[in-house]
Amino acid sequence: MLLHGAYRGFAGGARDVTLDAATIGEALEGLVRAHPSLAERLRDEHGKLRPHLALFINQDDARLLGWEDAPLHDGDIVHVIPAVSGG
Amino acid sequence: MAKKVTLLVGTKKGLYILRGDAGRGSWACEGPEFAPAEIHHAAYDPRDGSMFAAVNQTWGGSRIEVSRDMGKTWKTTKNPAFPEGGDRTFSKTWHIEPGHSKTPNVVWAGTEPAALFKSEDRGETWSIVKSLDDQPSRAKWVPGFGGMGLHSIAIDATDPKKMQVGISVGGVYRTEDGGVTWVQDNKVNGAPSERPDVFYCIHKLLAHPEESGLRFMRVHEEVYWRDPGETTWQFSTKGLPTNFGFAAAMHPRDRSTAYVIPLDGMKRTASPFGIGVYRTTDKGKTWDRLDKGLPEGAPMESVREGMHNDRLDPMGLYFGTANGDVWASKNEGESWSRVAQYLPYVTSVHAATIE
Repeated sequence: MLLHGAYRGFAGGARDVTLDAATIGEALEGLVRAHPSLAERLRDEHGKLRPHLALFINQDDARLLGWEDAPLHDGDIVHVIPAVSGG
Repeated sequence: MAKKVTLLVGTKKGLYILRGDAGRGSWACEGPEFAPAEIHHAAYDPRDGSMFAAVNQTWGGSRIEVSRDMGKTWKTTKNPAFPEGGDRTFSKTWHIEPGHSKTPNVVWAGTEPAALFKSEDRGETWSIVKSLDDQPSRAKWVPGFGGMGLHSIAIDATDPKKMQVGISVGGVYRTEDGGVTWVQDNKVNGAPSERPDVFYCIHKLLAHPEESGLRFMRVHEEVYWRDPGETTWQFSTKGLPTNFGFAAAMHPRDRSTAYVIPLDGMKRTASPFGIGVYRTTDKGKTWDRLDKGLPEGAPMESVREGMHNDRLDPMGLYFGTANGDVWASKNEGESWSRVAQYLPYVTSVHAATIE
């Protein structure tokens, strides 16, 4: 998993985490185990992923692939990105 | 050691810290910390020297940060959390209030959606005050222009079990048993109209730091005074150029003196009369304008947390503006000088008086 922008700061400056996961949801669990400070930055108190969070599998938007259920394969890079919005 | 003043200046793009010299004549500006997040409020805890910052951010959600080393380093606290099963999630922190000296580990936070959170471990973790949250009248609270938040936490000078909270738009609630039970506290005296239920859009409610029971309240279209022992809010708005405004402060020793910054109710700036601080020295019966050194006729704006005072003698008074200025007076408002400019939109100013 490759952290971008503000999420690197939330993880104490970490750039990436390598882990085994079959889905985006599992990958996020592994990410939080590696960097517990990300727990509340990724999800609200009810466990819902926060808005303004973009997740990409390689170059593909995870929202279009099943979001937390999106499958992962060996060598995939999951990008954790602070989504830009507005105009 | 001589006391000094440090200003915690929250802006729409981070926190700035202005450290004053012993004479309050020069100010070293540090920051921004947490940019580009909005710092809705920041506060200094004189009991242990902690600093708190309400960091309201879309990326990663809002959070409360604490510093135990005077702003050199910061730590993220455990987020306030709304109860499971409901449809509310913690969105923003509007105000952080260190507890009473008799409750040294207690810190309070007001949030959006409007709720009161209590920390009993110096701000490391937060729990919702369920007794307030369970008020049946909560169903009638509605958002003001800036959202629906609990922004005022007025702790009595001598009895920490007595406190009031102000909600926009939900009125005032009072507890006298440390938050076990609450009653609505909106009865006014002398006002042109009465809105006795939740319909008071409280803009700022303050408790005097030395006099038990003494309160000052800036409401959407009124200003109110309450003396010790009284159970109603005394209408005290006559003499101000408009009835609208946000920023308010109480003199920390004088029991009859308070300050407001009036704004035009539609434009939301100090227009056409120009930015000025208005002072009462007779419990709101009369007001005089203090503007020596301020730019004449400037249509500036100072918001809810925009003004604060230090605890020195003579008292220092400070306010920030939407155009990124911070103005200071070290003679209780008699004259003013600009101590910072070109900052982002200033959302809060807190004066920390440091031993």
